Amino acid sequence: MKLKETAKAVLYLSPALLIIGVFTIYPMIKSFFMSFYAEYDYFNDVVHRYGFDNFVYLWNDAVFHKALQNTFIFVLGVVPVSILLSLWIALMLNSITFLNKFFRTIYFIPFVTSVVAVSIVWRWIFHSNYGIMNYFLSWFGVDPINWLTSTEWAMPSLIILSIWKGLGYNIIIFLAGLQTIGDTYYNAARIDGANRWNRFIHVTLPQLAPTTFFVSIISIIGSFKVFDEIYALFDGKAGPSNSALTVVYYVFDKFYGEWNFGVASAAAYVLFAIIFVFTLLQFYVSKKKITY
Amino acid sequence: MKKFSLLVFLLMVSVLLVACGDDKEEGNASNAASGDKKQTETAKTETTEPVEIEFWHAMNGDHEVWLEDAAAKFSEENENITVKLVNQGSYGDLSQKLLAAAKAKTSPTIAQAYAEWMTEYNANNLVVDLAPMINGENGFPADASYEDISEVFRVDNTFGDKVLGLPFNKSTRVLFYNKDYFEANGLTAPTTWDELAAAAKTLTKEIDGKQVVGMGFENGLAHEISMWFEQAGGDFVDEKEGKVLFNTDAGLRALTFIDTMLKDGSARMAGEDGYLSGPFTRGDVAMYIGSSAGLAYVAKDAGNMNWSTAPLPKDVEAAAPFQGTNITMFANSTEAEQAAAFEFMKYLITPENTVDWAKATGYLPVRESAQQGQDWLSFIEENEAYQAGNAQYADGFIDVRLPGSYAMKNAISVELDKMLFEGATPAETLEAMSTKAQEALDQAK
Repeated sequence: MKLKETAKAVLYLSPALLIIGVFTIYPMIKSFFMSFYAEYDYFNDVVHRYGFDNFVYLWNDAVFHKALQNTFIFVLGVVPVSILLSLWIALMLNSITFLNKFFRTIYFIPFVTSVVAVSIVWRWIFHSNYGIMNYFLSWFGVDPINWLTSTEWAMPSLIILSIWKGLGYNIIIFLAGLQTIGDTYYNAARIDGANRWNRFIHVTLPQLAPTTFFVSIISIIGSFKVFDEIYALFDGKAGPSNSALTVVYYVFDKFYGEWNFGVASAAAYVLFAIIFVFTLLQFYVSKKKITY
Repeated sequence: MKKFSLLVFLLMVSVLLVACGDDKEEGNASNAASGDKKQTETAKTETTEPVEIEFWHAMNGDHEVWLEDAAAKFSEENENITVKLVNQGSYGDLSQKLLAAAKAKTSPTIAQAYAEWMTEYNANNLVVDLAPMINGENGFPADASYEDISEVFRVDNTFGDKVLGLPFNKSTRVLFYNKDYFEANGLTAPTTWDELAAAAKTLTKEIDGKQVVGMGFENGLAHEISMWFEQAGGDFVDEKEGKVLFNTDAGLRALTFIDTMLKDGSARMAGEDGYLSGPFTRGDVAMYIGSSAGLAYVAKDAGNMNWSTAPLPKDVEAAAPFQGTNITMFANSTEAEQAAAFEFMKYLITPENTVDWAKATGYLPVRESAQQGQDWLSFIEENEAYQAGNAQYADGFIDVRLPGSYAMKNAISVELDKMLFEGATPAETLEAMSTKAQEALDQAK
């Protein structure tokens, strides 16, 4: 009986499984093996020797180290700010009823717009002479900044763009989370004499913990994988002098540019390992902290 | 329960793996066979069976229109051959799709390709040696011989004793200059570096209320840096030995020349504008060095501005890089397709067509007879901007074609950016460029 049910389930799942199998699982397995190709003929799938050469290469490659470093800076720059900002906006939106839906749409638009289109607009915003960003800063007496053509500012530009782009999605998730918090908690807190701030700290935040956990995992994974924004913002380059080179960009360059398929696969697996460890860590922390 | 689903899943994966495994055997066999059979088969080009050939390209706008017309005319003349043009977007997209197609054994019959890509294709036995076809019965006709193609373009396609492509859209770099600004200041187009620097200085000032910068460099300066080294009397890379040769006094002179102009403000980078055709046609930049393929774009945007081009200024030597793609033929095609594709490749560069193409696009005629022919000469007589390219064949050189040259250029670009955008000194930049470039080449060996 159970076997029959399982067979039925597998049958129903098979279309999805087939697609995931072909486009996700198979490439994952394949690239895992490819990361150990030491001497090989890629086009005919002949491997003369397996080994750790590609990982040794990455260990010694200064460009890869730079990519790793930039990726961490990016994650640290984007995720906390994005979460705080979107939580704040979600709280605001939750407390107004008038135009709530309108603003929700406005904030969500960047998320559904194509990255390439968005990046082209931001290229103009960041333009050192004609850009609105420098114009705005000039009101405060700030000298024009070379957002896109200096190694110092390339990464901040990318971070600003990414925060703005991801905001809408996080806001929607937070709003959904806020709406599940029952009024009874707030009413009880009011009776106990809790003010706005107390209610936020002792009711909203703990109740919102699962949502925050979800948002942080999604944001961290997404940020580790950043690529499109760089490609579009810097016009097919990783910023001046590789200043916005991230791990995925590195993988792309090794694979399509240099035809160094083994190293590209190895780098992808290093990134996979990093994301995996971070996600495990988050799960561990969440088990300890989300107590209800 | 869990075990069962795992089993099913593993089964699916293994089916997939087997399915993929089968393919490659076949691919291998046909690859090997195509090499030796070709020589005997190409003699019978008069195909009786209808053949369709696929041509992947990255030509857009007017360039694509011309190509479509040419393909239609060709099919009219050769009833059995249909040319299927597939626009793959940009060169970057084209390169990625060709890589994926090669892996999947679904390469097109022919495609546009830079010599740099062809180096990789050759190393992986993906492309057909055209030499047997060129020397065969259906090679080039006497009045439009293979040898008539400019040497610089033939060299670009020759790898050892193999010929892996025919030139198609070739360009060179020329100096674009604003005639109005030059004449108003009593200047003529510079012919040497010193004149270039002097003109840039003179023209860096306010003209008609605009803050003009004398000289402009494209963002892809790293891709033309070999030109500056050669002009300074130096060398770039020894292709045979895979050795970087530019860390010399000449190399330093070239970088110092560029750096000095950028630092004193008489030159600027394209920067956020992407390409200099924009600032140039707006009148923000008085002159710049760019691809002759940009002629059509500049002409479109120039409006009332008087402008022209001049041959590249020289320093110790005159040196002009010749760039652009060739058409290469992939090995996983039938002999009939290869023969048909070869006909089309020849057709695109007949003396008439190569001139027609050049007129429409700003690319260069690839044949000597065409470059010296009445048709082209009278055209450039009327269209002054097209003359500079024609004057540079004698000083032409081509890009380095080595495994690892992509990585090398990347490394050079990263280091050069530090000088262009960050104020690193020419001496340290040259040293770093040279070391990193050599590392990249060594790694690919």
